[in-house]
Amino acid sequence: MNHDINIKKLRLNCFRQSKEDGKFMLQMRVPGGFVEAKYLSMIRHISETWGDGNFHFGTRQTFDICGIPYENIPAVNAYLKDYIEEVDEQLCQVNMDQVAGVPAEWDRRGGYPTIGARNISACIGDYHCICGNINTFALARRLEKLIFPSHYHIKINISGCPNDCNKAHLCDFGIIGCAKIDYHPERCIGCGLCAKMCEHGATRVLSLNEKNGKIDKDPCCCVGCGECVKACPAGAWTRNPKQFYKVILGGRTGRQTPRTGKMFLNWATEDVIAGVLGNWQKFSAWVMDYKPEYLHGGHLIDRAGYKKFKEIILEGVELNPECLVAEDIFWHETEYRSNFNVKPLSAHHTAGPQPEGTHAH
Amino acid sequence: MGFRIEAGLADEILRELKKSYQIYAPKRFPGQGRFAETDLIRYDEVSALSEIVFDEKSDYPAKEVITPIQQAIFYFTEEEYRASRGKSKPILLFARPCDINAQRVQAKIYAGNGGYEDLYYTRMRERVKFVLMECPGGDDTCFCASMGTNRTDDYGMAVRPDGAGGLLAEVRDEELLPYFSQAPAADFTPAFVTENETAVTPPEIPDKETLLKLKAHPVWQEFNGRCISCGACTLACSTCTCFTTRDVVYGDNPEVGERRRVSASCQVEGFSDMAGGHSFRPTAGDRMRYKILHKFHDYKARFGDMHMCVGCGRCTSRCPAYISVTATVAKVNAAVAEIRGALGQ
Ligand code: SF4
Ligand code: SF4
Ligand code: SF4
Ligand code: SF4
Repeated sequence: MNHDINIKKLRLNCFRQSKEDGKFMLQMRVPGGFVEAKYLSMIRHISETWGDGNFHFGTRQTFDICGIPYENIPAVNAYLKDYIEEVDEQLCQVNMDQVAGVPAEWDRRGGYPTIGARNISACIGDYHCICGNINTFALARRLEKLIFPSHYHIKINISGCPNDCNKAHLCDFGIIGCAKIDYHPERCIGCGLCAKMCEHGATRVLSLNEKNGKIDKDPCCCVGCGECVKACPAGAWTRNPKQFYKVILGGRTGRQTPRTGKMFLNWATEDVIAGVLGNWQKFSAWVMDYKPEYLHGGHLIDRAGYKKFKEIILEGVELNPECLVAEDIFWHETEYRSNFNVKPLSAHHTAGPQPEGTHAH
Repeated sequence: MGFRIEAGLADEILRELKKSYQIYAPKRFPGQGRFAETDLIRYDEVSALSEIVFDEKSDYPAKEVITPIQQAIFYFTEEEYRASRGKSKPILLFARPCDINAQRVQAKIYAGNGGYEDLYYTRMRERVKFVLMECPGGDDTCFCASMGTNRTDDYGMAVRPDGAGGLLAEVRDEELLPYFSQAPAADFTPAFVTENETAVTPPEIPDKETLLKLKAHPVWQEFNGRCISCGACTLACSTCTCFTTRDVVYGDNPEVGERRRVSASCQVEGFSDMAGGHSFRPTAGDRMRYKILHKFHDYKARFGDMHMCVGCGRCTSRCPAYISVTATVAKVNAAVAEIRGALGQ
């Protein structure tokens, strides 16, 4: 078929090119992967009216509707108005009339304005899970407005506990809900079950002190999972009601240098996470000299260097007293091609403001 | 005498009472439940009426006040030792009928067991006056009516929240009466639950042969796969009394220290181990059998007046493996019926 389609523009509008001629796939945001079931009837309507009758759970928890012919896109976008208004504007209180903080009127019948900041994915968290330490989708909804709409790319994965079912270790900015655990020795019967569970399922930081029948804890390496709380028959371990998070930074998959993320923050509060993400647009803009490219967050950190990232991202953020910050991060990448980074100086990427007339690359 | 006590006055009375009494009641600990963002309700000292949880059953029983999970029983220095003194201030203990009746059981075990009287239990029990919390009906794990523990008259006063932050109270104890001189009189006597959503019939085991056959019956084997032997049921139990003693030395001097009493659980592996490694109840099923028969047969066979279980249902509520005590007793009853049928009884 003879098409003349600006596929880059469509991609920014969250329609992905298909191997099938003239067809596209819509990706709908579902912050935290959690919405009322009533929206499934919208998915069905879009799919059966304009698509091929199927849908796929996107790997980032988007509702993906495939087989949409190019001609149908305006009708789909007009229909999306209610969904975007209800989910993003109302539930997440996103200001849709801006892009990365710059005022830009949103065409309400034009679908999604940007694709850069990816859907924030989350495990079910403590809404349901007996291991979860935090309400993951409530956090996703709070963070959505800080990163969307924006052309700067960031993938955020939220896990409710250090079991990390939602792979915070494999995205730009992974958030893990952690609990600080308080010990009430006067309630402890010395059964040792908590120590067994910590050894079996966590970091082996607890041991039964045979001299006093109480538990010794090596506080250095508690991951804050809460397995000890779950195990104790006497309520001798309890989660501190203050909620904490780890941030795992710079993980990624990909064709070039996939790697597992490393810990950036430990025992940060939700306000600190929100403060840090509030600086994300500023950091991205600075690295790319204010010209957004299709480039994921982890690569931006590589270009700026971790120390520069840390400097910009922590600007004006008041860290809670428990919060620990990585002084440096040494990622370990899979090098599909050895000495991947060794190349002519002219081929090196740059970061930050560039001389007039040149582009960051 | 009955009184109507407005919210403000109730706290004033509580403040006055605290001068002469320690006041313990079920209290909410936000976020301290087993799972994230769930609460724990357990006994603690209270200073305001609003701290007391009336409408929900506590996760842990009132026995924690009288027989704490851990207490020092004596202190030693070289070859000298002396018993811990304990406190002398009397205690007002807010409790539902099941928890109050549970003290009849604990008293039998600690102070009526073969003529031996346990000093630590008795001295604590003597300090306690109960404040009966009228039970608003319990939940679907409760079966006090089946166990005959839904009523009690062992209380110095009884209370019902009036729904507006105040109380209706019946004060029987002469020593408590003067505290209520400011409160207008009102007609109030506590009501008792007469029926629960769940009912239990303790097993009828008429003879030794049936008992032996029941002990060997496959009904217990189900628990080998289900019970994780955590002991949460016995810690939550209103009547369980098992404890262990432990000597703890202070710092690096082995000649100075204390002997402690610490709660123990028959459900935890190793509880019944003897020196030499022999274990009486090596499987979870064996331990479940021991617990259930103790609660619903053995205790009554020995002491006669009542079963050991008071039907508070806390073991069911706290079990992380969803093992229901009422369902378990029903299974045991079916096993007994099968055995008796086979014996032609
Ligand atoms: S919260 Fe810490 S101490 Fe408890 S099980 Fe997990 S790692 Fe071990
Ligand atoms: S599980 Fe609880 S009671 Fe058992 S040793 Fe650990 S803290 Fe103590
Ligand atoms: S056995 Fe269960 S229901 Fe009976 S008194 Fe103990 S905790 Fe309550
Ligand atoms: S019955 Fe339940 S609470 Fe009791 S030991 Fe077994 S698993 Fe734990």
